[in-house]
Amino acid sequence: MLILTCPHCGIQAEETELHNGGEAHLKRVGPDGSDEEFEGYMFARRNPRGVHLERWRHAYGCGKWFIAARCTVTLQVFGTYAAQTTTPPDHIVQAVRAARPDWNPTEEGASE
Amino acid sequence: MPDTARSGRYSVFAIAREALRQHKGWNRAWASPEPRDRYKVIVVGAGGHGLATAYYLGKNFGITDVAVLDKGWLGGGNTGRNTTIIRSNYLQDPSAAIYDKALKLYEGLSQDLNYNVMFSPRGLIMLAQTEHEVRGYKRTVYANNLQGVSTEWIDAQRLKELVPIINIDGPRYPVLGGLYQERGGTARHDAVAWGYARACSDMGMHIIQNCEVTGVETEGGQVRAVNTSKGRIGCEKLAMVVAGHSSQLAEMAGFRLPIESVALQALVSEPIKPCMDVVVMANTVHGYLSQSDKGEMVIGGGTDHFNNFTQRGSWHHVEETVRALVETFPMIGRLKMLRQWGGIVDMTGDRSPILSTTPVGGVFVNCGWGTGGFKAIPGSGWAMAELVAKGRPGPLAADFGLDRFREGRFIDESVAAGVAH
Amino acid sequence: MAEHLARISPVTDLGMIALRGDLAAIADAAGMAAPDRTGIATDGPRSLAWMSPDEALLILPAPQTPEAVEALTLALDGQHALVADVSDARAVFDVIGPGAADVIAKLAPVDAAAMPQGHLRRTRMAQVATAIWRIEGGFRVIGFRSTGDYLGLILRNAAIAGSGLAPR
Ligand SMILES: Cc1cc2nc3c(=O)[nH]c(=O)nc-3n(C[C@H](O)[C@H](O)[C@H](O)COP(=O)(O)OP(=O)(O)OC[C@H]3O[C@@H](n4cnc5c(N)ncnc54)[C@H](O)[C@@H]3O)c2cc1C
Ligand SMILES: [Zn+2]
Repeated sequence: MLILTCPHCGIQAEETELHNGGEAHLKRVGPDGSDEEFEGYMFARRNPRGVHLERWRHAYGCGKWFIAARCTVTLQVFGTYAAQTTTPPDHIVQAVRAARPDWNPTEEGASE
Repeated sequence: MPDTARSGRYSVFAIAREALRQHKGWNRAWASPEPRDRYKVIVVGAGGHGLATAYYLGKNFGITDVAVLDKGWLGGGNTGRNTTIIRSNYLQDPSAAIYDKALKLYEGLSQDLNYNVMFSPRGLIMLAQTEHEVRGYKRTVYANNLQGVSTEWIDAQRLKELVPIINIDGPRYPVLGGLYQERGGTARHDAVAWGYARACSDMGMHIIQNCEVTGVETEGGQVRAVNTSKGRIGCEKLAMVVAGHSSQLAEMAGFRLPIESVALQALVSEPIKPCMDVVVMANTVHGYLSQSDKGEMVIGGGTDHFNNFTQRGSWHHVEETVRALVETFPMIGRLKMLRQWGGIVDMTGDRSPILSTTPVGGVFVNCGWGTGGFKAIPGSGWAMAELVAKGRPGPLAADFGLDRFREGRFIDESVAAGVAH
Repeated sequence: MAEHLARISPVTDLGMIALRGDLAAIADAAGMAAPDRTGIATDGPRSLAWMSPDEALLILPAPQTPEAVEALTLALDGQHALVADVSDARAVFDVIGPGAADVIAKLAPVDAAAMPQGHLRRTRMAQVATAIWRIEGGFRVIGFRSTGDYLGLILRNAAIAGSGLAPR
């Protein structure tokens, strides 16, 4: 059972109260985007075995979106933060690095 | 263990012969050789799809300089973890073509492989429990008839005759009828993997277990070799057939796939006397049920809804699935559950598979079968072998290329694949 | 004969007004103290509950609702805010009795026994959305009217005599 703390209301919500919204920090492609850019935005995913930054909605709670840093293999949760950011905040990067020293957040932000 | 050892043909005479000498003369079903320096074709992933790819490379194209590498044991991925439902009643034409090819091959597979895969065409019913589903399945029946795939719509009375243990007046969702495919059924999952593995080994191919691929070496945009836990192995062509780990393999070769990996789980009950001789899927309430030859009720449901490599599954899905099925099959409420397990499935946006060339020359992918690829193993291997041998897809694989995501040419099977199976 | 874990009684005389916008301005307009995050602040017959960072719920006696809607609309005029009477969209149950926390804990992924006074927990019960807070002798549960029958049914079922969670 996965338990995430919603940063908006502070509730420790469990999996069934939440809705997963997939990879976070994707850059939206506008009307001028090429077919390749749209394909990348719509479909190409990192799908990592390891640290994943992903969107969640506190669906049965406050209804707000947030982002979780989580390991897809161990289900370890490194932290959660507001969805209104384009890159993971420092305290999250630190928390991940404490467990995974090699983890590189810039690769995360740079998802095409 | 010699490099190549023939397993010997299985027959009634072989059994009689071995009975007379205390069964001491059986050969291993497949050899376990050390890898050579290079092969013409390397297939990564010794699940059903990888092994079938290798088999049809040999059988249909005479290519036997092939190694199949697996990081674990063969058939230890989703192939050995699935609930073995086989059917071909999909909606779109390209799906009907490849799934029905697979079903036809399943019908003769035990003979072809000289290995009993226990294919059991006991019939398959998808329950319609809402008006919406009634319309959806009637539409599928019409589509299937045009595709030459025999399926029929049956009403609730006929359904009750076929499945006496069903409760057609369920409290939430009464059974209104069903989509029936008489040719559908099940097969023994391990036997499918073992049968293909033995046949590949007999053709001189190498099946190398406990050999994890950790890197893909390219030169000028062309594949040269793979790095593995057993060293570097050169190849001319590389087929990636690793289901839930496809994104990882693609990353090694420097490209991304439209794939997300999630956990799908199943469970089985204690064995009971025969009570249901068809496979029943209930897509609205999200559960499905069949009875194994051992008598266990085999149960499956939905996937975890987040990227996940844990091969475990979660309690609340068991609860949800069992609750749904108890409504429709009240008698299973009395059963004890024996085992529960999970597999990591590879989901695409349109719930259809990918059989494709890739941005790297000589590298081909076969993945995206998601929650329902066991039924496709022979057809997928057949089509993949052609793709790898010729370097371009044949008619069965043509529509399943990666370019469909760029071109918006989706093969939408989200309805046909409604429940994970 | 063992007692039911709790008595489940429908509550039909409550009005509810959903308020969206700036929470301080909303509390001001309602003439009440702003609730803490996930809190519910009660003042006489009225309660103001924190529902999300930009949403509050005013709970009050049903007859006072139309007038309160009008007053709030007026008070929030010119601001980016929403005032909606959602009384008819809701089903409300009181769960009262010594085993009330067990009833809640069976249906919601919530440690009901540890739930503090003045806290409102939005969650699910079995398959439907609800909000729960403590009242005298137990809990009050609100859900949607469209799933009200279901909610009543599962609450009564979870309260059946002899079905307490403590080991027997
Ligand atoms: C619980 C469950 C129920 C299912 N029920 C059904 C059903 O009823 N009907 C149906 O048709 N389908 C069903 N499926 C889906 C079906 O199991 C899969 O689609 C199918 O088995 C995929 O086969 P595969 O050969 O592609 O993958 P797998 O059998 O998973 O094989 C992939 C192999 O790749 C290996 N591998 C991965 N990474 C590496 C690496 N780096 N190096 C070397 N090897 C590697 C793995 O060890 C694995 O053995 C179900 C799946 C699950 C999990
Ligand atoms: Zn929240």
